[in-house]
Order: sequence, then C-alpha cells, then structure tokens
Amino acid sequence: MLSRNLRIACRRYSQSVTTFRTSEISPAQQNSNQIGLFYTLDNDLCKQLYGHGGLPKCFLKQTKTFTETTFMIRQPALEIIECIKATDFNKPAIRYVLHGEEGTGKSMTIAHLLHYAHQEGFLIIHVPWVSNWLRRVSRYKEMANSLTKEGFVDIPLDAAAWLLHFKTQNQHLLKSGELKVSKDYEWSKREKTPAGSTLLELIEHGIVRVKYACDVVDTLLHEVKLLSNTKQCKTFVAIDGYNGFFNPLTNLHTPTKKKVAPEEVTLTASFLELTKNDWTNGVMLLSTDAIAHPEYEQESYLPKYLLYRKGFDHIDPFVPIEVSNYTEKEFMTCASYYRDRLWLRGSPDIEKELKITSAHNPYRFMELCAPL
Amino acid sequence: MRNSLYVFHKLCVNITPGRWPSLLLQNRLYAKYFPDFFQNPIFRKEDQAKLIENNELSKYTTVPVLPPSASETSMHFDPLVNKVINHIMKDGNKKLARSLLEKAFENVKRKQIERYHLAKTPEQKAKIELDPKNILHKAVENSKPMLQLLPIKRGGITYQVPGPITEHRSLFLAIKWLLEATTEKERTVHFPEQFAWEIMDAANNTGKVVKRKQDLHRLCEANRAYAHYRWQ
Amino acid sequence: MIMALFTRSYKPGVLFNTNLLWRSNSTLETLQKGEDEEEFRVLDILKKKDKHQRRVARPMKVPADRAEKMPTDQNWGNVWPGPRSFHPSSVPLPIRQGYVPKGQVPPGKKANAELMKIPNFLHLTPPVIKMQCEAIKKFCTEWPKMLNSEQAIEQHYPVEVITSDYCHASPTIRNPLARIVTLRVKLSSLELDKHAKDKFLRLVGDRYDKETDLVTFTADRCPMRKQNLDYVNYLLTATFHESWAVEDWEKQKSEEDMEYYNWDNNKSKRNLIDWYLKVKNEDRLLTDDEYKSFDVSEIPHAIEYKETVSDLFNVGENKETLSRYDTVVRKLLGLPEKKC
Repeated sequence: MLSRNLRIACRRYSQSVTTFRTSEISPAQQNSNQIGLFYTLDNDLCKQLYGHGGLPKCFLKQTKTFTETTFMIRQPALEIIECIKATDFNKPAIRYVLHGEEGTGKSMTIAHLLHYAHQEGFLIIHVPWVSNWLRRVSRYKEMANSLTKEGFVDIPLDAAAWLLHFKTQNQHLLKSGELKVSKDYEWSKREKTPAGSTLLELIEHGIVRVKYACDVVDTLLHEVKLLSNTKQCKTFVAIDGYNGFFNPLTNLHTPTKKKVAPEEVTLTASFLELTKNDWTNGVMLLSTDAIAHPEYEQESYLPKYLLYRKGFDHIDPFVPIEVSNYTEKEFMTCASYYRDRLWLRGSPDIEKELKITSAHNPYRFMELCAPL
Repeated sequence: MRNSLYVFHKLCVNITPGRWPSLLLQNRLYAKYFPDFFQNPIFRKEDQAKLIENNELSKYTTVPVLPPSASETSMHFDPLVNKVINHIMKDGNKKLARSLLEKAFENVKRKQIERYHLAKTPEQKAKIELDPKNILHKAVENSKPMLQLLPIKRGGITYQVPGPITEHRSLFLAIKWLLEATTEKERTVHFPEQFAWEIMDAANNTGKVVKRKQDLHRLCEANRAYAHYRWQ
Repeated sequence: MIMALFTRSYKPGVLFNTNLLWRSNSTLETLQKGEDEEEFRVLDILKKKDKHQRRVARPMKVPADRAEKMPTDQNWGNVWPGPRSFHPSSVPLPIRQGYVPKGQVPPGKKANAELMKIPNFLHLTPPVIKMQCEAIKKFCTEWPKMLNSEQAIEQHYPVEVITSDYCHASPTIRNPLARIVTLRVKLSSLELDKHAKDKFLRLVGDRYDKETDLVTFTADRCPMRKQNLDYVNYLLTATFHESWAVEDWEKQKSEEDMEYYNWDNNKSKRNLIDWYLKVKNEDRLLTDDEYKSFDVSEIPHAIEYKETVSDLFNVGENKETLSRYDTVVRKLLGLPEKKC
C-alpha cells in the first residue's frame, strides 16, 4: 500500500519535473506557455546590466553557486511586456507600479524587464535600490550642500556611482554618439559642456568631476527626456524601492546635524521630475517595497499605503501590477530547478513540506532550502 | 474509561493504603499537561512501515498519543543536529542557535556544490558529499575520542590515568571540541563560517578537532603505565 | 470530699462523733432503719441503679403524603395558584436535585434546600397561562388593521422601546434588571441631511450599527424604569436637535481632516487633466478654478476613474479597490486588460 503510494507520488513528481527550462532567451518572444520556466542569461550581458547592482544580494550568491544566471518567466513580467507592446509611444509615458509581499520577486521582475528593455533597444535608466542613497549611511558617505540649488543636499559619490552604472548599462547606445546635449552647460569657469557634445562626454564629466555628479545626473535626466520627446531614443525607467523617495525622513544629515528629508536631496528631485508623465516615448517601471518603508512593521504592502499621499498624487494614473507568491506550477518547476542545481535533495516528500512552510513564497522557499 | 481504569490499577499496585490521601493531593498539585501513559507519536514513515511489517500496529490503536513537537515532525529533523543546536544555544535562545547552524550548513553546501561543479570526472563528482547533515555526522564521528584521562590520586600525587570512555561522553566531547575550535577565531569571522570550516575539516579527518582527539589518544598511550591505578 | 470535711471539723482533744459522720453520708431512710433494727448496712458507694428497660419505639401513625393522594386529573392551577418556593408535599413529581460525588444519586425532593433555593415556575404552566389570558381578554383592544405588516409597523412606529419583565419565585417581585430600557430607531427614519447625519453619527459613536442602520440607546443609570425611559427619550431628542445645529467652527473644516476624499478638489483630477491635455497635444496652463470646474466627462472612462480613485481613499485600499483601479486605469490608458 505504502510503496504503491510512493510509486504514484514518484511518477507524478517525475512528470512535473520534465521541463523547467526554456530555450527562449529573448524576453520579447516569451509567452504565457512558458510561465514558470527558467531561461538562462548570457554572462557578459549579466555583467553589463547588473554589474553595478540590479540583482538582490541573495540572488547573486545563488548565481555563483548555480554557476549560471537564470530568471523564471512569470506573469507580471509578461503582463508588462504585453502592455509595453500595446503602448502608443506618442502618448505620455505610462507608469507601472510593482507591488507585493516581501520576497515575492519584485526586484527580479525588474531585472527580467531590464533584459527585455535592453533587447528592445531602450535607453535604460535604472536605480537599483533607492534606499541605498537615502537610508544606508556608510562610514564614507559624503554629503555636501548643493552648489546650484539652494537648501539641497548632494550625495556626489552615490551620484557618480550611479552614472557609472548608467554608462555600463547603456554602453552600446552611448558609444554610437547619436545622443547629443541640447544646450550649453557651464559647470565652472573652465569646465563646460557645449551643446552638441555627446551624452557620454557629459557622463564622463560627472564621473571624473565627482563634485558635479549630482548636477550632471539632473542634467542627464533632463536631456534624456528631451531626446525621448524628439524620438531620438526610447527610454525605460526602472526604479526599485520607489516609495523611498516619499518617506518622511532620510538617515542623512547635513554638516550641522540637521536631519534631511528626501525631497531635500538633489537626486530625489531629479528622479521625481523624471517620473512625471510630461514626456513621451518612454516606459516607467516603479516598485513599492515594504522594506523601504520607514516603519518597522507595515500594515499593508499595497502601493497607496507605502507611497503615502504625496507619492500617490505624484504618480497618479499608474498601473498597479501585483507580484504574488508562486503558483503550484511555478513552485514545482522551481523545486525541480533547485534539484537540478543540487540545491535541494532527498525524497520528493520534502517539496510537500516546503510548500507549506514557505507558503509558496519564493524567497522563503530559497531560504528554507539552503540548509538542506 | 479504559485508561482511567488502567491508571487506577497501577496506583493500587504501587501504593500502600496509608499513603493514599497525600498521593492524591500530589497528583492534583502537579497536574501535567499530559499524563504519563500517553505515548510518543510515531510519525516517520519508515517507523510506521516497520510497525506494519512486524504486525505491531494493532498494539498502538488504543493507546493515547501525545501531540508531536513542532520541530520533530519536520522531514529534516535529525537528533544529532538537534543536539548540536542545543550545544550552540545560549540563554535558551534556540531560534538564534538554529539559524546559526543552518547558516553554517548553507556555507558547507555552497562550498561542496562549488567543488562538485569544479570536479571534472563523474567519479570525482560522486565522491563529493553534498549533504551538510551527513558531513556533520561524519565530523562528529571523526572527532569522538575512544579513551579518556581520569585524574586519580595515589600517594599524594594525581596521576592522569587512561581509561575507556562512554559513548555518551565521547559524543559530548566531540561536539564540545567542535564548538571550542569554532570559537577560537578572528573577530571578523562569523560563527557559521568558521563552524562550516571546522566540520568540513573534521569530516575529512583533518583540522584542529581531529588533532585534539589524536593528542588525547597519544597522551593515553603515553600514560599506559598508570593504567593499573584505575582499579588499585 | 470526706477527707476535707474531716480535716476541717477535726479539733485536737475533742472526741469524734462517729454517728454524725455516718449520717452525713447515708440517706434518711437508712438512718431511721438503723436506729430501729440495727441491721448491717452496706455502704453503697457507686449507687448502682436498676437497669430500666429501654422503651420500644412504636411506629407513629403518619398520614400519607399529600402529593401521593392527589388525583391525576386535578386542576393544577388550584393546587399552585401563585409564585411560591418549592414545597415537596404539594408537588406530585419525583424530583431530585443536588450535587453529589460521582456515582451517587442526587437527594430527593423532601427536606431538600436545593430545590427551595431555585426559583420555580410551577404557577405558570401552559394551561394556567391560557386560562389567565382568556380571562383578561375582555380588557384588550383590537389590533389596528392597518398595521398588518412589519413595514407598516416600522413606518408608523419607528421608535422601538425594549424593556424586560422578569417572572419571579423569590419573595420580591422586583428584579433590578427590569429597570434597563433600550431604545432603537432606524437612522433613515430620522430624515437627516448630509451635515446633520454626519454630526449625528459622530455624537452617537458606536451606538450606530452600520449594517442594520439602527441607532441604539440603552439606559440603566436610574433606579426606575420610568426614569430610564425618560432619559433615553431625552438622549434621542437632544442628539437629533444638536445634529442640526451648525457651529461657526465647522466652516473651518478642510480636506486635511479627511472626512472623505473629494476627487474634484484633489491632485488626482489635475493629473488626469494634464495627462489628457498632453494626449491632445494642447499646451495650456490652467488655473486652480479652471481645474476645479473642468468637465471630465469628455475624457473617456474619466467618470469610472473618478469613482475608483475616490473608492481607493474613501473605502480604503484593499485588493478589491486596487484591482478595480487597475482595470479602469488600463482602460483609460488604452492598455490590454489584465489576464486571469
């Protein structure tokens, strides 16, 4: 009796195991038949897109252990791709807001869509995690009062790091040199960026002269908007932990030990300006995350609560897209993928237990598998 | 009803009539959540299969059963792992202790998987033990001492006399040594990392702990001459 | 005792009168006898009494219990006409009552204090009630014919007063709980306007049940029912009139107080209008008043959008309202509908 049950279970299990990979590596071609399947990314592309952030730390560890970078094709990403395909790019840019419980895969969805944007030739403006700027205060964090804007605070090192990230992500577009600056920018008496110089030069200036990095970011975002409006490029904005911009306070403080509000940081101002829908030919993908919320325990993971009133008003007609826990099928393919990567071993009954203990939550599932 | 009769019978047999009232009182005061005759549950499929095989299942049908404890019912429960967790634990903070051990297991697993991928031939790959639990078992097995030194006073001098060691004590020493070796670390290295290294070393029959065991054995060998003090 | 007497009356040199001494201890009869016959008398120190025979108790002639003599077809109402504590001989029922250790039988009805302690309703058997109702029927008026349904009753008598009367077997017929008065009225029957309703609900607090639309006042603070009834009526009157009063400071109430979200005054409307103008490629700046007076019905799906955004704020953000917002925004922006 028992052995028969076991045999049936094994058979059922082996049926579900058969496919967990798909050979369809271009996100634009992926369809709903491939939901729950894994596709592998090229290593060089990975380095280009996520080299300076973009993948969660725990996932990076996994890629090292698994010796490959794979993404699961999931419903939210496909939904957004479909929406982007159906979008009229002459209309103002549409904002998509990813939301979901902790560990459901919001950042992974963004990573997946970055790959799509890269393939489709979008200019990518990607902020890996807003709270890195506003909340993480390392020992070497540099803060300075802004030179150009009265009462604002600069975080030049972060801005320069971001410029580098932007440069590596869009190196192929920037190298062609078609994207040009529309007007003269004068940084100091001797330094200026004349109209007609390429964006790459502007960025290089920001990286080399860290002092002006924040202003360069501001200028860059402004120029990108103009370029998109004139159809010289398509722009894909992806900001993870977007609700960090609307928190009451940051962990930063001025030299006079005054606490700084997010709206007093120059980077916040420029990115908030970017996420207005007063420009065309672009897509904006924002994610709201409970972890970026200042309170220790959140009442809800829904976007309006996390964004506060001002955040909601700022991005108002937005498309909320929920990233939920694994479905039954996704869970099984994920489990068989883990088995293939030796992350999970043992009898097939283990899945049954893990399914219950992890409650289908992707992150928790990964965590629970770790010591087995 | 049957159970209560059974208890009644047991009490009658064991207790002299004079002690009745005090015993009843005691039973009232020390109310247990479950009485003694409740049996531990048998929930592992292997154990159940064994029962069915030996036709002993009918014996348990009428026996009242305790609810299982949460950790024991897990598929991954291992008595030795539980023991090690209890040794790691301080101030009853089992949650932390368990998370530390789990992180150590994770580190072991990552290293072993890395090695597995680096190995070239299938034979080499087959040799690599991937289950961190097995590695812990092997490590503990390898660090168990077979002899111990007992201080015995003879003629005003304390001699270190070698003698056999009980299974229980050798297990205790093995775990204790593993943990002591782990705590001798740089401040920047975290416990799980170091513990992972220690158990991997011990599983390979190398490292501090195995050396400590061998040192003890050597000392026992050297003090062989005192062995007769054990019974003289 | 004797010794004590002896020592007390002893005087050295005086001869002891033995006769006197004896006399003090023997009865008068023996003394006389002794004087007459000079018989040897035995000293009866322990005074053995004659064993008298124990009387055999004769069984008393007790008449049979009244309960046993009762005919089965008697009129119970006559036996037990009013409230009274339990009496075993009057009740021909084999009743048992009382707590006993496990395995024993509870004591019977005779000399059972437990039965006498609890209230009984032996005077209120169904036939008795029926009979009494018949008797008082001639004092009742007829039920109004128009009040033939629940709705009609509700319409003509919106205020409902609930009190409780208690039947008692105890010496007093007054139960303290009888003083409590509850008044219920449907909020819709009060016919309040928007402001008054809002204020009324604030005044009433949790006495209003949203689901049944009932306002409930309960009073138990006065010792008499009449007083409580007056108080409850007063409460209803006072809250009703107070809710109609508009104070000066109420004009200062602003959007920030978040009573409800008025989409027309909010940023969301501006966002929508801005977006619409952008789509139409009209570049013009509107003033605040123009924003407020802008008719959104010309924008497709704008009305639905307005409703969903208001719901998001007024009902609260949950999965349902958010998904409704989602579908409407997709319609508004011309995106494909959500799957599954």
